[in-house]
Amino acid sequence: MSGEPDDRDGEMAAQLKRGEATAIESLYDRYGRLAYGLALRILNDRNAAEDVVQDAFLGVWRNAGSFDVSRGSLRNWLLSVVHHRAIDRLRGTAKTRREAQLESIERTAGMPDPWEAVALDLERKQILEAFQQLPEAQRLTLELAYFRGYTHTEIARQLNLPLGTVKGRMRMGLEKMRSFLQARGVTP
Amino acid sequence: MTMTHAEAEELLGAYALDALPEAETRRLEEHLAGCPEHAAAAAELRTTQSLLALTGDEVQPPPGLRQRITQAIAANPSQSRTAAGSAPADVVPTRRGSRLPRWAPRRAYLAAAAAVLVSLGVGGVIGYQLSASQQPLVYTFQGDPTRAPGAEARLVYLKDRRQAVLTVSGLPRLTAGHIYEIWLIKGGVPVDEGISADPNGNVAAAISGDVPRFDQLAITVEPGEQQLPTTTPILIGNLRTSSA
Repeated sequence: MSGEPDDRDGEMAAQLKRGEATAIESLYDRYGRLAYGLALRILNDRNAAEDVVQDAFLGVWRNAGSFDVSRGSLRNWLLSVVHHRAIDRLRGTAKTRREAQLESIERTAGMPDPWEAVALDLERKQILEAFQQLPEAQRLTLELAYFRGYTHTEIARQLNLPLGTVKGRMRMGLEKMRSFLQARGVTP
Repeated sequence: MTMTHAEAEELLGAYALDALPEAETRRLEEHLAGCPEHAAAAAELRTTQSLLALTGDEVQPPPGLRQRITQAIAANPSQSRTAAGSAPADVVPTRRGSRLPRWAPRRAYLAAAAAVLVSLGVGGVIGYQLSASQQPLVYTFQGDPTRAPGAEARLVYLKDRRQAVLTVSGLPRLTAGHIYEIWLIKGGVPVDEGISADPNGNVAAAISGDVPRFDQLAITVEPGEQQLPTTTPILIGNLRTSSA
């Protein structure tokens, strides 16, 4: 099990900023399994997951100069990069398969820093619990959006639901997770 | 066309999950730019969204991956960054190799800039500075009529952050092994500002530094990341107005 973000993350971030390539190895040893697990969950294809993880680590390497440890964890940053690249890939390759026409989405635009307000010592177990305690309909909706890259209209069509219901489940699901974690002191 | 408060309220969850089509995203961001209440709610939801990455299992990657990553880094010494704290006050060509924030991670800038971009109602004037002195600088560019017909680029410079955000759509599809590479040019010297290989011909990038001090922005298609352009730009535009 990988460790939680801590001082070691800060140390790795500093090394990365200095351009010390060994820090990428440390980062990989610590979070490579988590990153690969996330990519594999999204892509369900070992080769594609491998490519995405490699690409994400190189992306972190390239952009490490901009990383500000006071604003969040290196782990969350890495995973955010993995997620976006995996979804990009999924949408890019899945497009031709799907009957429905996906609208082109500028994946990298329009998102506040996800790590800014997140405490560094979030515990994965509690986060998983927060996700699992959601009503099934909300959990499924988040799963389809986050791990499958579906838009709200695609989800509505697939589940044969009114669009408004899907929108509501997305927001409710996230808010319930947040409340659950807040009640346990995991998020501010 | 402007999104109402009630409409925006409905879309915040989908927005946080990146589950909105682009047109709707832009309209919502226009609203967020002028609505602190929804902007704060969107940020909170987005923070929670980021935690979903931690709900999965760890999986042991294939044995060769670690080595491939380290080799890729070793083979690309140009990808080394300048040390922390040396973020350039002066961005002229010496910045080459200083790979400051550009791509996916700088979402706050992208969001802010995208929102501002929409709220300013950017027109199609090439390289024209639309905003007043205290507002972000906004430029729009069009692709080369033969190499990238229909491509459009928008660059928003946020003075207070010394960050620019570039969004490009409609670029010609890449062929295998090729990437888009972004350049800022000053005095005829191009500076590499990052790469993208989006299969849909879209690019979004954050660029750090005093972008308006450069003369031009350009995008080329390259066979892998280059130190200097090896092909004719498919899109190029002036960053200085004639009076600048």
